[in-house]
Amino acid sequence: MKAESSARADSRADAVRGLKVLVAEDSSITSDLLKLLLNQRGHQVDIVTDGLQALAALREHDYDVAMLDFRMPHMDGVQVASSIRKEANGRKLPRLIAITADMEALLAHAEDCENFDHVLPKPLDIYQVGKLVEEQAEIGARQAFPAPATHRPTPADLKPTSDRPSFFDSLDYEFLSWPNDLGTTRLSARGIQATLGDPRFDAILIKQSASAEDLASIWRQNALHLLPVIDLTGTLGAKADLDGSKLGGRDTDEFDRLIRRFRDQRARLHRDMVFAGNVGEKLLGRMVVSGPPLKPAYDAQSATLVSYNTILGGSLVAAEAEGMCEQKFLSRTFFERFHVCPRCESSRLNVREECPKCRSSNLTEESYLHHFTCAYQGPESEFRRANNLICPKCRRELTSFSIDYDRPGAMMLCGSCGHAGSEPAIGFVCLDCCAHADGESCRTRDVFSYELTEEGIGLAQYGRSLLGDARQLLRFTELPLELVVALNSAAKRFSTESIPFTLLNIVYQNEREITAEHGVRQFAQARALFLENLRAATAQTGMVVDGQSYDFALLRDVGPEKSKDEFDSLRQRAQSTVRVDLGVKFQAFGPEDFI
Amino acid sequence: MWEHATDGVVYLASQSRASLFGLFWFVIVFEFPRYTLGFISVAAISFRTARAPPRNIEIGRVTAVIAGHNEAAAIERCVQSLHEQSRPPDEIIVISDGSTDQMPVKLRELQNRGLIAEAHCPQLRAGKSASFNLGFARASGAIIVNIDCDCILERHALLYLLQPFADPKVGGVAGNIVVRNSNASLIAGFQAIEYLISISQGKQSANLTDQMTCVSGAFGAFRRAAIASVGGLDSGGGEDLDVTLRLRGYGWTTLFAADAICLTNAPETVTDLSRQRFRWERDAVRLRYRKHRDLINPFSARFKLIELLHEMDFILFSVLAAAVFPFYLTWLFITYGDVAPVILVGAQVGMLTLDTFTFLLAAWLTPQVNAFAIAPYIVGYSLFYGLIMRFIRLAAYLQEWIFRTSYRDSYVPMKVHTVRR
Repeated sequence: MKAESSARADSRADAVRGLKVLVAEDSSITSDLLKLLLNQRGHQVDIVTDGLQALAALREHDYDVAMLDFRMPHMDGVQVASSIRKEANGRKLPRLIAITADMEALLAHAEDCENFDHVLPKPLDIYQVGKLVEEQAEIGARQAFPAPATHRPTPADLKPTSDRPSFFDSLDYEFLSWPNDLGTTRLSARGIQATLGDPRFDAILIKQSASAEDLASIWRQNALHLLPVIDLTGTLGAKADLDGSKLGGRDTDEFDRLIRRFRDQRARLHRDMVFAGNVGEKLLGRMVVSGPPLKPAYDAQSATLVSYNTILGGSLVAAEAEGMCEQKFLSRTFFERFHVCPRCESSRLNVREECPKCRSSNLTEESYLHHFTCAYQGPESEFRRANNLICPKCRRELTSFSIDYDRPGAMMLCGSCGHAGSEPAIGFVCLDCCAHADGESCRTRDVFSYELTEEGIGLAQYGRSLLGDARQLLRFTELPLELVVALNSAAKRFSTESIPFTLLNIVYQNEREITAEHGVRQFAQARALFLENLRAATAQTGMVVDGQSYDFALLRDVGPEKSKDEFDSLRQRAQSTVRVDLGVKFQAFGPEDFI
Repeated sequence: MWEHATDGVVYLASQSRASLFGLFWFVIVFEFPRYTLGFISVAAISFRTARAPPRNIEIGRVTAVIAGHNEAAAIERCVQSLHEQSRPPDEIIVISDGSTDQMPVKLRELQNRGLIAEAHCPQLRAGKSASFNLGFARASGAIIVNIDCDCILERHALLYLLQPFADPKVGGVAGNIVVRNSNASLIAGFQAIEYLISISQGKQSANLTDQMTCVSGAFGAFRRAAIASVGGLDSGGGEDLDVTLRLRGYGWTTLFAADAICLTNAPETVTDLSRQRFRWERDAVRLRYRKHRDLINPFSARFKLIELLHEMDFILFSVLAAAVFPFYLTWLFITYGDVAPVILVGAQVGMLTLDTFTFLLAAWLTPQVNAFAIAPYIVGYSLFYGLIMRFIRLAAYLQEWIFRTSYRDSYVPMKVHTVRR
């Protein structure tokens, strides 16, 4: 059994290492780029240029992954996929990935879309492609060796799907619904489209109750975290942006306002935040869009006893928000201190007064009685005889409080071990793992609410350019198409003739200050002037391309290692006639960064 | 003046035995028998077989009960000294008697560290008796030891204190109290000598004739069954004398353990000392002549010859010795005029000689006490106790006799006095 499972693990690892990939793409630029990328990661790539060839290749060879362009001569990607699925007849098929620049058209064949395992939008994100292909191959391999079922039914599964059409469906908005469009494992075509930041989607409707862990899958996708969450189940509470379960046909005002607010704020958000790579930045984006700060609330369902006003789990939010706090994008305010189980970290603890000796909570409190006359002092039960108080020492009756007796204090008696003392100890029992912890030794965890700082708002509006070089990453999705084409040919020339090239990413560090001080127009003018100067200066060897938050310059025949001075003088020349200091930074990328 | 002195000495030297008695009758009646009895008892003690080495005897569990009011600073050292014992107690119970300082906090800490078994912290002060009664009721031991917070025990003190309980008739055993701060002041030094003579040696002598009548509240032990038979401590001051007298009344033997040494701090100023002695003497008068007066009533059922001995001792050497002294002085000055001081000095010289001799014997009987260190105080001790303390005692007796001051003593809460009266 052990040998078998390790063999399975091995084959899975192999599957990820050297994959066989078919790329069916009529544009040589794209297919070359894909080949370059995948070869680089150790995969074998076959390229075909039309649908018929693709079908033939799929029939003839066993591929792990096939990437099919939607628009191809003779037969489009959708047709290829449906044909090969029909023919499959139990044969193991490769994972099918659609590549398209035209989501709309692909969605028009909604039912045929189901033949694809994944959809990859153009322009391609070079960081995602390799990872995606490997992920898909791994899913394929896992299906070939099905893993033992680990899924246990949860209360959420047992609840009937409330798929009755709600009044929301009658509204003139574009909704994504959970779990139809956004499931824990799979996105619908509409879901995928929304992850591309399509502005037409307005909100997510939660139609079936789901756990925080399940809903967290929404946050693993791009852009979805920026949509308002409408809870139709009435179970999410403050985690949803609106409780739709009680909303009647007439109260659409609140709803409209919410959608509008989110829409407006999304438009202001920097692209970096829409496609943020980490949860921390996603949180930041979410806060800017949704408005209110991250507010914790007591939540008995969660082991941390806290949930925030977002569908993400409390501990994950806290961890990520702390990270953002360290970077000064968020500021925090104390909310509550929780004790934490030392064994399982849960805060679902029963707080008890305990016997300091045996740790039992079987305690009773009893008054001491002091009989002045004979100096006897002891627990009340020793005095009590029916309704009278009789001194056990001198047998006299205690008649008047404060005259012949009083109660100097209380003693705590343990019913389990008989111990008596003046004070109980405090202890905790974990309701999740039954571990016991003393009050003194139990760790605590502080929970905070988080608010955006000026820097945080800046990051959300101006993107990572605000952070300077250190955290800069070149993102292919951001590259203008003409640049991708030019890069592609430069890369080709490098691999055949070893002619180097350099891509300069032009970052404007002072964008925020200039915009704040002089306005958007002033900045745009200065930026345009700078680019014009740069264009003139590099007319012989390069091209300058306008981007969104950054601009780019592609310099031929120059390697990025060549000379820093050269770039510096180039920058100074371009800056020289610009009145405001743009704070330009060049980031140089060479062929090695792309191949 | 000097002439008077030489005249006096010549006068004294020329007296016959009979006429010497005429001059010094006070010393001869009230002091000489006391010293003589002391010397006889020391001789008797030393003739007895050598002290047996302590054994670990089977007497069951031992519980230590410590009660204190605002003793946050002292309690830890006291508890630690109990744990340092060669025979540590099996259980320690501490009662904070309505403390308003950090004592309850300190006790919780000691309990958390496992140094004490139980801590009780009533918020209202109930007095020493009530606190001990609470501790006794909670104690699981067959022997209950009580210790004052400011006491430190020598390493084997408890072992020695428990030895007499091997005899099932023994109901209470007193420890030997030794002054720790003998160098703190002249007054403390005097008390070091006083304790050595009256407790270390005095109680050893009392042991011989079953006259040990006070299991001191500072350090003593009781058999649980004995304390249960008398119902525990009674309200009011002097509870140690009171409970010992009652134990003896119930037929229990009370003994003194000379080697069970407990170090305590004596009052360091005359004011503090006289305040303490006023309290002690008032309580003694109240207990002996009011509460337990039937012990000296030959027609009472409780009357016993053995109790009459210590009662006589107290009447003669404490009460009368104090009461008659002013009359003796007056008579002396009226009769002899200018020679009277010389006669007094002569009496004092005689007393000093006796005191020195007694001190040396006591020191010999209690080798644990460093007698050399306190020996220089003997002259001052003899003067102070021969003249001043006598008046303090007398004042206390009169105060109690006339004003019943012990019923308002601040050592006991007022609420208790009110119902006791």
